[in-house]
Amino acid sequence: MADIRLKAGDPEPSTGLLERAKSGDLGAFDQLMRLHEKQVLSTALRILGSMEDAQDAAQETFLRLYKSLNRLPDILEIKSWLYRVTVNVCRDALRKRLRHRTEQLSGPDPASIAPDPELAWMNQERGRLVEMALTTLPEKERAAIVLRDVEGLSTREVAGILGSSEVTVRSQICVARGKLKKFTDRYLRKKS
Amino acid sequence: MNCADWEREIASESGAAGLEEHLQQCARCQEFAREIEANRTALQQLTVHPAAFDAVRRRVLDDIQSRRRRAIWWQWPAAAAILVACGVILSVVFLQPRTKPGIAKPPIVAVRTPPQVTAPARNVARTPRRPRPRARVVPARMAVHARQESLTVKMLTNDPDVIIIWLVDQKGD
Repeated sequence: MADIRLKAGDPEPSTGLLERAKSGDLGAFDQLMRLHEKQVLSTALRILGSMEDAQDAAQETFLRLYKSLNRLPDILEIKSWLYRVTVNVCRDALRKRLRHRTEQLSGPDPASIAPDPELAWMNQERGRLVEMALTTLPEKERAAIVLRDVEGLSTREVAGILGSSEVTVRSQICVARGKLKKFTDRYLRKKS
Repeated sequence: MNCADWEREIASESGAAGLEEHLQQCARCQEFAREIEANRTALQQLTVHPAAFDAVRRRVLDDIQSRRRRAIWWQWPAAAAILVACGVILSVVFLQPRTKPGIAKPPIVAVRTPPQVTAPARNVARTPRRPRPRARVVPARMAVHARQESLTVKMLTNDPDVIIIWLVDQKGD
């Protein structure tokens, strides 16, 4: 079981926020969503590769959170709980829905990354390529690399969320990184 | 270990012994490590437009509120059914038809006749020594009509609508 608790850098949860949300205070629940929306929507978007699907998945995840509020003893447990549910909802969505990619993801502002226009273009291009490459990965590899490389979780935490062993997760991440590199290499070399 | 092995070690972040030394010497593995890192950075820098977050929150809150409204509407029929059931029960209990004064009771009263009352009447006729005064049974309300052939005893009860009448055949004595 992953133990991903709110850390020092995380937004500090208001005292009694969870209790107020449990008692039916929608304002408090809105605050809870604001605390975790980036985590949920970003993870869903990178796993599903479509903003429309990701928003549906995030909505479903937060609705499940609302229904399960009374079973969550501690606000510190919410983060790991949300990762697990997000990944599960995305897995269900991947099986059920047709994926249709949209250009909803926006890459970094090139000027903010590098003063060199060519390098900026390369970075922007790489971002798009990595997005595309993610959608070609098998479901488990995608979830593993998103949690590890995008969300910055440790291998042990990823293993807890995905219900796998650390060895399996390490292998999945290794294979996924190799595939992403091959994908970007092929495209960038063609371009150059 | 060849470079393919080292690349696996790099990608899996195993921290294998000797990796740093190999990276310092091998240009191919350095390039591989740079690419892996560049892809990871690109993944992390992808951003989501803030409007997308607002949209999700709005959808969730709308959904919750509509569920609450639906829940309230589902409660109304149940409450109405309970009220109707209570009304029916109360009306059955309190609006039950009562006996109106003036309507004569059916002759069932004869069945209720206590047998011990008839015995003294017979005794009165049979043993004159111990005549039980008719007034003793219900002195104020009893009227005795002596006739030649039969004796009629009218007995008033607490209910003004109920009068008990005995016809005593004295011949048979």
